[in-house]
Amino acid sequence: MLLLLLVFLVGYVGYLDFKVRQQFDGKRWSLPARVYARPLELYAGLQLTADQFAGELAALHYRPVRSASKPGEMSRNGSAFQLVTRGFVHPDGKDGPQHIRVSFSAGAVSRLASASNGKPVSLARLDPVLVGSFYPAHNEDRVLVKLEEVPQSLIDALIAIEDRGFYRHFGISPLGILRALIANIRAGEVVQGGSTLTQQLVKNFFLSSERSIMRKLNEALMALLLEFHYEKDDILESYLNEVYLGQDGSRSVHGFGLASYLYFERPLNELTIDQVALLVGMVKGPSHYNPHRHPERVRDRRNLVLDVMTDLKLLAAAEASRGKNRALGITHLQRKAINTFPAFLDLVKRQLRRDYRDRDITSEGLRIFTTLDPRVQWQLEKSVKNRLHALEQSHGIETGSLQVAVVVTSVQGGEVLALAGGRDGQFAGFNRALDAKRPVGSVIKPAVYLTALERPHEYTLATQLDDTPLTYTSSTGDVWEPGNYDQVFHGSVPLYQALAQSYNVATARLGLELGIRPVISTLRRLGIDQNLRALPSLALGAVELSPLQVTQMYQTLASGGFRSPLRAIRAVLASDQTPLQSYPLRVEAAVKPEHAYLVNTALRHAVIEGTGRALFQVLPAWWDIAGKTGTTDDLRDSWFAGYTADRLGVVWIGHDDNTSTGLSGSSGALTLWRDLFSAFGEPAPMLPAGESIEIEWIDPASGLLADAGCRDAVQLPFVQGSSPQVVAPCAYGVQLKQSVDWFKELFE
Amino acid sequence: MSNSVIVQGLSCVVLVVLLAGCSGVSTRLPSPVVDHGTAAPPDTRIEYDRSAAEAVLESAPESVPAQQPPVIVALLEQAETQANDGDLSTSVATLERALRIEPRDPLLWYHLASVRLAQGEYSQAEQIAMKSNSLAAGARKLQVRNWRLIAQARKRLGDTAGAGQAERRARSLEN
Repeated sequence: MLLLLLVFLVGYVGYLDFKVRQQFDGKRWSLPARVYARPLELYAGLQLTADQFAGELAALHYRPVRSASKPGEMSRNGSAFQLVTRGFVHPDGKDGPQHIRVSFSAGAVSRLASASNGKPVSLARLDPVLVGSFYPAHNEDRVLVKLEEVPQSLIDALIAIEDRGFYRHFGISPLGILRALIANIRAGEVVQGGSTLTQQLVKNFFLSSERSIMRKLNEALMALLLEFHYEKDDILESYLNEVYLGQDGSRSVHGFGLASYLYFERPLNELTIDQVALLVGMVKGPSHYNPHRHPERVRDRRNLVLDVMTDLKLLAAAEASRGKNRALGITHLQRKAINTFPAFLDLVKRQLRRDYRDRDITSEGLRIFTTLDPRVQWQLEKSVKNRLHALEQSHGIETGSLQVAVVVTSVQGGEVLALAGGRDGQFAGFNRALDAKRPVGSVIKPAVYLTALERPHEYTLATQLDDTPLTYTSSTGDVWEPGNYDQVFHGSVPLYQALAQSYNVATARLGLELGIRPVISTLRRLGIDQNLRALPSLALGAVELSPLQVTQMYQTLASGGFRSPLRAIRAVLASDQTPLQSYPLRVEAAVKPEHAYLVNTALRHAVIEGTGRALFQVLPAWWDIAGKTGTTDDLRDSWFAGYTADRLGVVWIGHDDNTSTGLSGSSGALTLWRDLFSAFGEPAPMLPAGESIEIEWIDPASGLLADAGCRDAVQLPFVQGSSPQVVAPCAYGVQLKQSVDWFKELFE
Repeated sequence: MSNSVIVQGLSCVVLVVLLAGCSGVSTRLPSPVVDHGTAAPPDTRIEYDRSAAEAVLESAPESVPAQQPPVIVALLEQAETQANDGDLSTSVATLERALRIEPRDPLLWYHLASVRLAQGEYSQAEQIAMKSNSLAAGARKLQVRNWRLIAQARKRLGDTAGAGQAERRARSLEN
């Protein structure tokens, strides 16, 4: 009988021992992935206002002080800032803290210098804003800290309050229990806990909060086992990262590292002594000592901790009393930056899934560095909110019914700067930017015209197209008679105008002449990798694509024919900062630059005098912009794709239930695009034509050479050798031109 | 049960615990692997194609946008140092940083193409050099360098005809 008991006991202890070691040896806390926005790079000449810079610093929780001297501090004097950047390990290397002075003038950084020696600094990079995390299913969160990174005051306070004999006992401390009992009786309240830190760690790791004798026994046993196998410092470090310190919505907060951010918006090493005391005081019961709900109770507890520290000579009395007089300092932001941009994070996750399993994404503590530009994203969300509301008001549309999708990218690299998946930026629902496949209407047309312009000896921007009634009968007997938006037929029109004015009939006819398969092949080169049905109506956009796909198409055009796959991630580091993967810039020469240049020229005309001209009702006329409107049948989809030298934006507005909104591309999506790009400020000028382009004056009515003598003459680019050779009837001074050319040739 | 039995039982338990302790080596708890101390090590997975690099990684061609802003000069220097140290993927990252600031500087694209060539990314090297050329109107010497680079890349890809074409383009630009 005794033997049986013994065997059972041995077995049981062995089981506990196994459990303890398995848990700790292989223990990798499930670490959520951290997603960072692009870091702000400061240099003289950067277009940025002082207020925008202040906004970036606020998002990074830089603390305004009188004179910045520690990392994470900043001071502002009008348009001049002084700050100490936090050190950070970026994918390309570690940046140490920098003490710098930044001045602003005329909407740009005017001066960047070292604050210590005044010498100019060519480039300074801030730590990137944390814009989200990917959590494992059980929603735990950690900001891991090594023991060396934890302020000594916190360790001292913790041991003083929770387990004074920590370094001396062997896991459980009968003395400690006794001591606590005496102290508590003396104080008339619970001043000390009887459980050791080791026991608390075991409780956090394994056991529920059920307080039964069995639990207590198990806890004690496991604590003993833990102490047998592991060093004191290891146990302490685990404790510091494991201890439960409250809830943030549905997420439980474990560890001082995260608690420091959650309650005080700063890293552990930037806490003041009263803040340290507050956190340590919470250990006893984070729900009971919840600073949001029971501030007075928490204040008393904090002050108690400060007193105990003073008693134990860990803290000077003067400092303690200063600490006790301070307000709690708890930030009232309930929502931390842990999922502020769900639509963009969705894109990030999808791109990650190509290389990582879901389990790794949510539990290996990956550090993901993205292309998101928070300033662009904030501006986007603001513009969306205001413009949708304004459109609903002015067009008598049911409030709250309009939906939207927007993608903003850089032109040359295809980096996604901002993303809107719907009108509510905080809502992680259907991601329209990625998943809403809607008929694209006229935004497809540049692909048709590009196909034509890639045959410069057949088609140029001056080629006369036929915008007269067209009847097409398919092989199955279906009849198609496309009409123009304005219900008018325009007769003979130059190619660039047909695109700029988005004439359906001329385009449909052109599509038939070229053949739809060549157009599909062009679309493929532009980056549309979807299967498309070779129907003539494709030329008018009877195809369903997502806003992201449309963006890829326009990126290829805007970059001068060099397709870069749109990307949201730059690099991924492991939780220990070692590089795992980089996603470098890639380009494919998909379209010849001179052909892209021709299409871009027509799209510039589109916004100057064509269907996109509403842009310049608001934007300054000298801004260099190209774009294309798109409107589908019955005004169900409103599209605008527009770009400047460096930035591309595609906007879709419509109803989820596919009912008409009454908005055309111009009256709807364009207005939102305009708001957004207006906030970006004046763009760089687009590049001049390359060497394989020649520019000629053309008479649009005939498509022939003109000069200033022709009314409505327009300058158009042509691929070298493809410009018209015949002169229009309206031109004069023709003889003069020819003799001048002959004369010039003599000297070449 | 009698006291002695309880004592015996307890001492057995203690013994077992001690034994259990001895059965496993006393190990350190795996500490949280947070290491802020070291910079990212060079990416040793990418093969450094020395011969291609030597053919192309030379000093900057002369005919280049006259005044490059100091930030670009600083980043270019950094990128070249990193490339010369064999840290090619970091060099790429630095050049991309520069390209975000000056997206249409053909010299930056040329340098990116060079490093990609050195990494053995021949197809990308070719495409990026073409991109550089598309931005290099009037910068004849840079265009020559790009065509030479394209020729190198095509040769490595086994496209001898294409490499020849690129060589001829380079020569015709040199006059």
